[in-house]
Amino acid sequence: MATLDQKSPNVLLQSLCCRITGKSEAEVAHQFQYAVRVIGSNYAPTIERDEFLVSEKIKKELLKQRREADAALFSELHRKLQTQGVLKHRWSVLYLLLSLSEDPRKPSSRVGNYGALFAQALPRDAHSTPFYCTRPQSLALSYGERSGGLSASVGTSGISSLGVYTLNGPTPTPQSLLAGQPPQSAAGGGQPLGSRLAWALPVSSSPSSALAPTATRPPLGPPVPSARVVRPRRDGDAGGEVSEAALVRDILYVFQGIDGKFIKMSAQDNCYKIDSKVVLCKSLRDTSSRLAELGWSLDRAFGLVGQSFCASLHQELKEYYRLLSVLHSQLQVEDDQGVNVCTESSLTLRRLLVWMYDPKVRLKTLAALVDFCQGRKGGELASAVHAYGKTGDPQMRALVQHILSLVSHPILNFLYRWIYDGELEDTYHEFFVASDPNVKTDRLWHDKYSLRKSMIPSFITMDQARKVYTPTISSLITIDRVCHDRTPPGKITPASKSADTPKDAAELLSDLEGAFQEKIDAAYFDTSKYLLDVLNRNYLLLEHLQAMRRYLLLGQGDFIRHLMDLLKPELVRPATTLYQHNLTGILETAVRATNAQFDNAEILKRLDVRLLEVSPGDTGWDVFSLDYHVDGPIATVFTRECMGHYLRVFNFLWRAKRMEYTLTDIWKGQMCNAKLLKTMPELSGVLHQCHILASEMVHFIHQMQYYITFEVLECSWDELWNKVQQAQDLDHIIAAHDVFLDTIISRCLLDNNSRNLLNQLRAIFDQIIEFQNAQDSLYRSALEELTLRLQYEERKQQREEEGQWGVTAEQEAEEKRRIQEFQETIPKMRSQLRILTHCYQNIVQQFLVLLMTSSDESLRFLSFRLDFNEHYRAREPRLRASLGATRGRRLSNI
Amino acid sequence: MASAASANLNAVRETMDVLLEISRLLNTGLDMESLSICVRLCEQGINPEALSAVIKELRKASESLKVQKLPQIEQYCWKEWFLL
Repeated sequence: MATLDQKSPNVLLQSLCCRITGKSEAEVAHQFQYAVRVIGSNYAPTIERDEFLVSEKIKKELLKQRREADAALFSELHRKLQTQGVLKHRWSVLYLLLSLSEDPRKPSSRVGNYGALFAQALPRDAHSTPFYCTRPQSLALSYGERSGGLSASVGTSGISSLGVYTLNGPTPTPQSLLAGQPPQSAAGGGQPLGSRLAWALPVSSSPSSALAPTATRPPLGPPVPSARVVRPRRDGDAGGEVSEAALVRDILYVFQGIDGKFIKMSAQDNCYKIDSKVVLCKSLRDTSSRLAELGWSLDRAFGLVGQSFCASLHQELKEYYRLLSVLHSQLQVEDDQGVNVCTESSLTLRRLLVWMYDPKVRLKTLAALVDFCQGRKGGELASAVHAYGKTGDPQMRALVQHILSLVSHPILNFLYRWIYDGELEDTYHEFFVASDPNVKTDRLWHDKYSLRKSMIPSFITMDQARKVYTPTISSLITIDRVCHDRTPPGKITPASKSADTPKDAAELLSDLEGAFQEKIDAAYFDTSKYLLDVLNRNYLLLEHLQAMRRYLLLGQGDFIRHLMDLLKPELVRPATTLYQHNLTGILETAVRATNAQFDNAEILKRLDVRLLEVSPGDTGWDVFSLDYHVDGPIATVFTRECMGHYLRVFNFLWRAKRMEYTLTDIWKGQMCNAKLLKTMPELSGVLHQCHILASEMVHFIHQMQYYITFEVLECSWDELWNKVQQAQDLDHIIAAHDVFLDTIISRCLLDNNSRNLLNQLRAIFDQIIEFQNAQDSLYRSALEELTLRLQYEERKQQREEEGQWGVTAEQEAEEKRRIQEFQETIPKMRSQLRILTHCYQNIVQQFLVLLMTSSDESLRFLSFRLDFNEHYRAREPRLRASLGATRGRRLSNI
Repeated sequence: MASAASANLNAVRETMDVLLEISRLLNTGLDMESLSICVRLCEQGINPEALSAVIKELRKASESLKVQKLPQIEQYCWKEWFLL
């Protein structure tokens, strides 16, 4: 750099301008201004400062033009350049050359490509990229570039601005410097004053907006010595030392948040120091600075909704700046004409006050909105904006509506994507449906998606949100994915495409009650219907539901009975000797032999045997259980908890069924043996006792079974079936099914509240088993005795036929002794039976008492049926009281 | 001292030659003087992106200058600015 003389960039630029346009310095002044501005505003490059990259780009460019030889030549030249080491910013020069390069084969197009550079600026402002956070300086410049663009357009040309400008170009211009240059003194080259300031202004305003984020009120440079603040007169006359035109000019700066010459930001009062216009200036300035702050702060992490909010604010701000630029131009015209008197059309403070009234109110609202929305995002933000829209002022409402339509645009986009495509693209967690990626497939429906209550915009009702949330193709698709079945949801045709423009969104917002509701409803019905169709058709949901009832809830009577018949010899053995494969074989036999064989193979395939955990002393009856395998989409309805419930209910029902079965056996034994044992009159008392106890038990179990089958299962099932038939979406089915299971569980005394009842019932069941054992042993001994007696008689008869004595004395004595012994066991049996009866009746009585006190009406009725002949009521005063009370209550109710 | 300076001058001249060659290869349309100005600007840390935009715009402006008067350009600029 030793010989490359250090001329100021401006001088260089100017000579460049002259050189390229071929004009004299005076003639190119305008172009020069432009050049200075562009260079200043684009100071920080957007490209990589990498020489290698640039050179590679150049080579690629040459290759693209099929100039391989030139590319080789270039790399040689580049190497030479690298060895020289004269240039510090080689990449920069290379980049310049590259961007100026043109394909020689194409017709020369030296013009054009101009807008591209500036086209970058605005989108960069509107969209938030983390880019800015790392380079705050470029934010400031790009911001200034835009506002500068608007206001500078008014000015004609001014060479004199060059000094201020270029000295401070890259770095934030210290305010003191700007303030320290009174416009009059710096005026040079005969240029109008206004244009000069219009030049300086965007540059200086940019640092102030860059500084804004640090505080609500950007510090606008060091406090100016109060001596400099000239207080103009209230009436705005062009009297004293300050002309009104100067004041107006000042105010125009103040509108943009910059200290003017006369009106300054006072640090201690936190407002602009000039009397009558204080409010106006302050509020405007304040708001714009706040908005600048917002533009910065929103840019960072507000997500899409925040971004659109930001964009809408930018729009408003742009309008404002446009207005300012018009005012500037007006001022400019006046200055050009040299008019300083108050003519009809000139700018006065009062006129300004009137003109600026509307923008002031708008900006105020915006500022309030910004304050209110600080720290919110997504649907919350939309809600906040929506809340502001509830105002009586039509202009305000229009403004807020406009912003709201922009803000809700992304939300509606989310919504449509979610409803029609089932996709959730919500990287910033702004939408009111949240998904949890960690959920496993079997809990997909239940846990995958959830509703974010705080994110529901206030203009969407909870019901709508629920409808949006529940039936989604997404779940359907994922369910499909689970079972590797790709049925394309082609049936669903979106009622409309996504909200393409904010205008659509605005329309939607305007009649939320009407069309929007309809759309959501339509989508809701379509998707849920489709989902249910798929579940029913492809996954046989209803068939599975019926199968549950038939097999796990013992609805298929013949099958269950046959299964029990077949299983009985297996199940009486200790649980440890059972083998699952044997039982599975038996299950298959039972299926094949009964009507179950006509069932769908898909269902029978899922039917299986399960052995519960074995505890010592268990018989097969205690551990046996039927099982039903559920997987895939069906598991959405039949969750693991559901299956657990089903198993509990099955065990209960199976036990009750077993009691019935046992009692049938007992009755069968009684009937068969009654005739045989008639010959033994000494047994009649015992047998009678047996019969009585057995019929008591049969009555009890019959009533229980009746209750379980008809009052519990059938009723609940009917309800469930009706609900399922009418269900509109899967959630309804799941809910109905859950209700069904809950009812069954509680009515079957399986829930926690009726544990006492269940214990009593178990005890009764135990008594029945014990009775069966007792009666079995009774019959065994009785039949043994009977056969012995018959043998004795037979032998006697045989001998008589042979012509001998029927019996000898000792034989007869022995027979008598044996009969005697047998008869002595009879009282023992009787007492055993009596104890059994007593126990049984006691337990039943307690059971009845518990039933009476139960809150469930059907249980109270059950107790009434169980004690129909009022046998227990006569025995137990508590029962009497409660029964009477119930009846009394019932009578009074009637 | 003088020889060092002349050596340096040589190096600079060589560099400029190389750059001019590259410029010619790339068909940038810059002559020696413009190029040297550009190089100096770049060496002062000016953003080359902006500089290239300026040069293009200047060329365009000079072309239109041949046919148009200044006020019309001004109007044109107005439009451009409002397009922003």
